[in-house]
Amino acid sequence: MLYVVLFFLIFSLYLYVVLGGADYGAGIVELFSSEENQKITKKTIYRVMGPVWEANHIWIIILIVILWIAFPAYYNIIVVHLHIPLTIILLGVTLRGVAFVFRHYDAVIDNSQKLYDSMFKVSSLVTPIFLGMVFGALISGEILIVDDVGTLTFYEAFIEPWLNIFSVLVGLFFAALCAFLSSVLLIGESEKEVSKIYIRKASIATVVVFIVGLVTFVYGYIFEYVFVRDFLENNFAIAFMLLSGILLLPLRITIRKGRRVLSRFFAGLQVFLILLAALISHFPDIIITETSSISLLDNIAPDSVIRVLGISLIIGGAVILPGLFHLLKSFKMIKILEQ
Amino acid sequence: MENLDAARLQMAFTLIFHIVFACIGMVMPFFMVVSHYKWLKTRDQIYLTLTKSWQKGVAIFFVTGAVSGTALSFELGLLWPEFMKHAGPIIGMPFSLEGAAFFVEAIALGFYLYGWNKLPEKFHWVTGIIIGLSGVASGILVVAANGWMNSPTGFDYIDGQFLNIDPVKAMLNPAWFTQALHMTLAAFTATGFAVAGIHAYQVYKKRRVELHKKAFKIAITFGAIAAILQPVSGDISAKDIAKRQPVKLAAMEAHYNTEKGAPLYIGGIVDNEKQEVKYKIALPGMLSFLAFGDLDAEVRGLNDFPEDERPNVAIVHYAFQIMVGIGSLLLFAGILYFVSLKRKKWFSSNRYWLLFVLLAPMGFIALEAGWIVTEVGRQPWIIHKIMRTKDAVTPMPGIVFSFYTYVVVYLTLSIAVTWLMLRQIKVLNNSSH
Repeated sequence: MLYVVLFFLIFSLYLYVVLGGADYGAGIVELFSSEENQKITKKTIYRVMGPVWEANHIWIIILIVILWIAFPAYYNIIVVHLHIPLTIILLGVTLRGVAFVFRHYDAVIDNSQKLYDSMFKVSSLVTPIFLGMVFGALISGEILIVDDVGTLTFYEAFIEPWLNIFSVLVGLFFAALCAFLSSVLLIGESEKEVSKIYIRKASIATVVVFIVGLVTFVYGYIFEYVFVRDFLENNFAIAFMLLSGILLLPLRITIRKGRRVLSRFFAGLQVFLILLAALISHFPDIIITETSSISLLDNIAPDSVIRVLGISLIIGGAVILPGLFHLLKSFKMIKILEQ
Repeated sequence: MENLDAARLQMAFTLIFHIVFACIGMVMPFFMVVSHYKWLKTRDQIYLTLTKSWQKGVAIFFVTGAVSGTALSFELGLLWPEFMKHAGPIIGMPFSLEGAAFFVEAIALGFYLYGWNKLPEKFHWVTGIIIGLSGVASGILVVAANGWMNSPTGFDYIDGQFLNIDPVKAMLNPAWFTQALHMTLAAFTATGFAVAGIHAYQVYKKRRVELHKKAFKIAITFGAIAAILQPVSGDISAKDIAKRQPVKLAAMEAHYNTEKGAPLYIGGIVDNEKQEVKYKIALPGMLSFLAFGDLDAEVRGLNDFPEDERPNVAIVHYAFQIMVGIGSLLLFAGILYFVSLKRKKWFSSNRYWLLFVLLAPMGFIALEAGWIVTEVGRQPWIIHKIMRTKDAVTPMPGIVFSFYTYVVVYLTLSIAVTWLMLRQIKVLNNSSH
């Protein structure tokens, strides 16, 4: 059953990165568009994301709940040491969700739309950066684990783990990845002329992802981050990264040929490979602290809990996934059946 | 401010908001599907207009409820890491099922909102029902987790360790049913009266009277039935608490000394120093009767319990009085509504509508008071008799700043949501259909 739980943990992490990521990315693309394109993007986002965006963001709740039920000790470290960035993420999620609803459901269209729009765009950028920073903090080796947090200064215990160059780089990397995913999604959702805008955005995002990724690795290598060292020594991780890069080629071809399902599949696969590469070099030691690594599988919840959780997840999955698929299909997010 | 106080205030503050959003998001879909059903049956355009304007309300409240709920799922860990470390695995089951129910709700909402003229009519309508049912299921599951804090079961507590965990038994703890029943009825009462009150105000102001009367009737029917059933559930809860958490019952009643044939106090001011209640009305033997169904039964007083195991008596007592007082008021208002169905001429009286306007916020005040009773009444424990709240709080100092941030954000959001709802109603009144 532990494997079922682990599967759902990684599965929901991946879906959150892809679906939630594309959702954040939509706001980022809108933020970095000219005024005229912003209007078009806003409409497209509403049409494409409207029916599904709430569902996209529930994956993070599933993720959190699985963590706290099955891996309580691990969860404990995250919520204690990364309290501040998590709170910022929360505020970002809150303001973004509210802004999305306000700008599409307000009965009167007037100047307040400008406020909703900027709220939406800014929180769409800030939230994924901090999400990435949290992940960065976990692998940065900056977290200090001691028996009594009171012996550390506030800065050492609650700021340094996430506010460092490495974590910020990881944050920027994730935000760029979101913009990339979203651009690929939007290409298939727009008219020929408009889709050119998103093709350009997708290329820019790809370049940014590559540059930020490279800088992160170079920085990590120079300052001897454990994660980067292990990553570079792990053949699987390297292979996954290379494969993800190579996939840009079929992605380009499918985009040019207007095969939108296939292009989304490739983009999703690329992100999956990146995530897998990031996890595999250290799994199950996902928290790297200043002195050692903490395994996800340390201090796991008792068997009885894992069993019940596994069963709940299977039942829940059996109810949710077909429903979600049908929802995506009904609103033409998935065209597989039509091809 | 102490870290513990700030954390408790922040939790209370966010919960107070979330409860309102969640209740409306959970109950309003039922009003919406009734109106939708009437549209399908009668093809009366008014019901379509009403359904569509309620659906916007549902969407707005679902999202605010969902984001404030996401915030809470984080806050549990951020504010109470020690609690979650031990309790997380034990009460994980209702939370994971709640996640599933919530997901189903979001999917159904996606279908419903965007399915007009796209989905088959009946299927579309059924997705509306699913929104409501999964919303209620979510509510019940979350309350079950709270029930566990009041009546922890499903584990053995040996030398500070939680062993032999049985998550199913923990979910089906002794408090879950009474609490869930009471809360579900309260949600229907509060939302029913609130929505009815808003439409009553429009009738009172003579704006699109026909539409708002229809809306009023649908909402108040739910509210009135729930309000009439609520005292039965309240009685079950009181008897349950008398057995499980006698100190909470004693605080609710500001009952200091153990005695047989204990009187029930109505009103009054609590003097915790002198251990007495001034200016009250005392009904002899009634507390014993309500708690144990026997006028002579012995009811344990606060003095029977160590001082560091008692909650704040004044807050719990006042909150309890407010809840019961308003509950009774709404019970009579509910009956009044059903009587008015036989006396049609009341509907043309402006005073009738004004009455329901004034009652609009009452259900929510009672509901919040009820949660204050159960949550403040549980103190000083975060897990009854197992873990104290002060031992569960985060070691990170400065929570007070986080608390202030939440206050600013939530107050701004509630002003914005209110403003948005007002605009919604204004547009509805100005449209011809």
